[in-house]
Amino acid sequence: MKKLKWTKVESSIFKIISYIAAATTALTLIYILGNITVQAMPSLTWEYVLTSESDHMELGAGIANAIVGSLLLSLGSTILAAPLAVGTAIYVKRYSRGGKIIDGFSFFIDVLSGTPSIVLGIFGLYILVFLMRGITGGFSLISGTIALAILILPVIERATENAIDAVPAELEEASYALGASKMETLFKITLPCAISGILTGIVIGVGRAAEESAVVVLTAGYSQFMPELKIGSNPSNVFGLKIYPLQDLVGTLPICVYRSFEFPNMVSPSQGFAAAFVLILIVITINSIARFIAWRRRIG
Amino acid sequence: MKRKQVLSELSGISFSACAIFTAVITIFFVGFIFYMAYPAFQSQGLYFLYGNVWDYSENIYGIRIFIAGTFAMTFTTLLIALPVSFFTAIFLAEYAPRQIVSILRPMIELLVGIPSVVYGIFGLFLLKDVFEHTINPFLSTYLGFIPFFVDYGYQGQGVLLASVILAIMILPTVTTIAEDSIRSVPFSYREASYALGANHWQTIKKVVLRTASKGMLLGAVLGMMRAMGETMAIVMLLGNIMQVPRSLLDTGYAMTSKILNDITYHLIEDEPRSALFGIAAVLFLLEIIFVGIARKIGGRNS
Repeated sequence: MKKLKWTKVESSIFKIISYIAAATTALTLIYILGNITVQAMPSLTWEYVLTSESDHMELGAGIANAIVGSLLLSLGSTILAAPLAVGTAIYVKRYSRGGKIIDGFSFFIDVLSGTPSIVLGIFGLYILVFLMRGITGGFSLISGTIALAILILPVIERATENAIDAVPAELEEASYALGASKMETLFKITLPCAISGILTGIVIGVGRAAEESAVVVLTAGYSQFMPELKIGSNPSNVFGLKIYPLQDLVGTLPICVYRSFEFPNMVSPSQGFAAAFVLILIVITINSIARFIAWRRRIG
Repeated sequence: MKRKQVLSELSGISFSACAIFTAVITIFFVGFIFYMAYPAFQSQGLYFLYGNVWDYSENIYGIRIFIAGTFAMTFTTLLIALPVSFFTAIFLAEYAPRQIVSILRPMIELLVGIPSVVYGIFGLFLLKDVFEHTINPFLSTYLGFIPFFVDYGYQGQGVLLASVILAIMILPTVTTIAEDSIRSVPFSYREASYALGANHWQTIKKVVLRTASKGMLLGAVLGMMRAMGETMAIVMLLGNIMQVPRSLLDTGYAMTSKILNDITYHLIEDEPRSALFGIAAVLFLLEIIFVGIARKIGGRNS
């Protein structure tokens, strides 16, 4: 009789623990987002969001340059990485014959996707910013774009592989049975079926690139000026030209946030939180788009 | 007909070209890190791993302090994050009504959308004060007789603060993977357990968690990798003081922070640069080992 009672007590104890854990998780999120919003409010004005830092006398008073920079950097790196990642995944899933080499390759992709961002950051710093400074212009939009493209390549590649795996084999078999060639089956059956999964992966890639800071601070640097389209001169570059905005420093939101730590006397915490607020809003919007694509796929 | 064949050939070639290019980038990247680190390994030998001194002017590089900092932080993070995430996952998969799941799960996914640098300033500008004035004094007053909880007076920064922030960062990863693996336990297992007269918790403990343990372990490994590689938040929170942390409330210096703080100043000096790449190589090696473990546990292909 006593034993029976203990099992009941144990059962309810662990049930309560589970409830507490879930409540802790939820409260943590509310606490973090709430606090960031409260801290951001004093600085978060339309003027702050819509003007560049260079328009103001003091540091940290505007982030429009960083918003534009972040969008350029994350979209640019995705445009660079996506074709390569999708092509690689198609090769791995539909053209390669498998075996040890592909196993090893997939191991390396896993390693790449788990790479600590600082390791990729110093790689970019030494190769792109230092060794290739004549071409990339040192700390620049193009250096940042290439480094971030390497960061998100495995993300998109994995998502594409999973999307292709999810295509029902019967559909492809039916296509072959009708006499379609490999390419026709790929472009008319496999890829259309997998497209929403692939797009979800690409959008998640944009989000990953937008929130990354360690790689960006070591490759793109920071600039208070709005990226602009022009050609200037710089004798240390190849051909003596400096192509804006590609070879120019670029400001990004994560670095705006970081600057409130780096220069605590010039950039106030509230300004850091305001930049953080805008950054979170952008990343959450991007992630919601990804979820929306995946969700529509499930309905349709 | 001929045009089609040419196109087909071309697309096959371009896909292989993509794969080869990706492979070249990846192998070049991994190889380059170790190539850059090699001179430091060669000149320091094993001292690089256990040495206490990091001195640019004498060219002596030992990374024991940084390894200790990273390990202490990672271990504490797991100690905090795993119970909370696992029980949250159990709650989501076993106890929660559907409406609550549909609220709580998007909230957990929102946590993923918060960039690490934001967690950093959140810890620095908000939590640091809470730790300095409330949590650290409390712990050191009531638990100070245990060496782990001695406060050395670093104003809140330290292993505990960094670990709490890291725990929040890895919580969504671990929870999501654990929940998925709990949900994927076949329903018939549970029914069999109920049929034997077990109650809900007994079923969870003896059947569900045992079956799902692989997936939960995988979540823990992935969370751990994320914690070890984190840079931006840790550089703000761990204190960056050259010492092996003596307690949870003491400061230290993580491997990632050392690289970030120093690399731009020493990029053009051969030996310091090689030493900093050496830290990256050790970090990378650890990560490769954990990727191997994660794949062994039953990573993506199962």
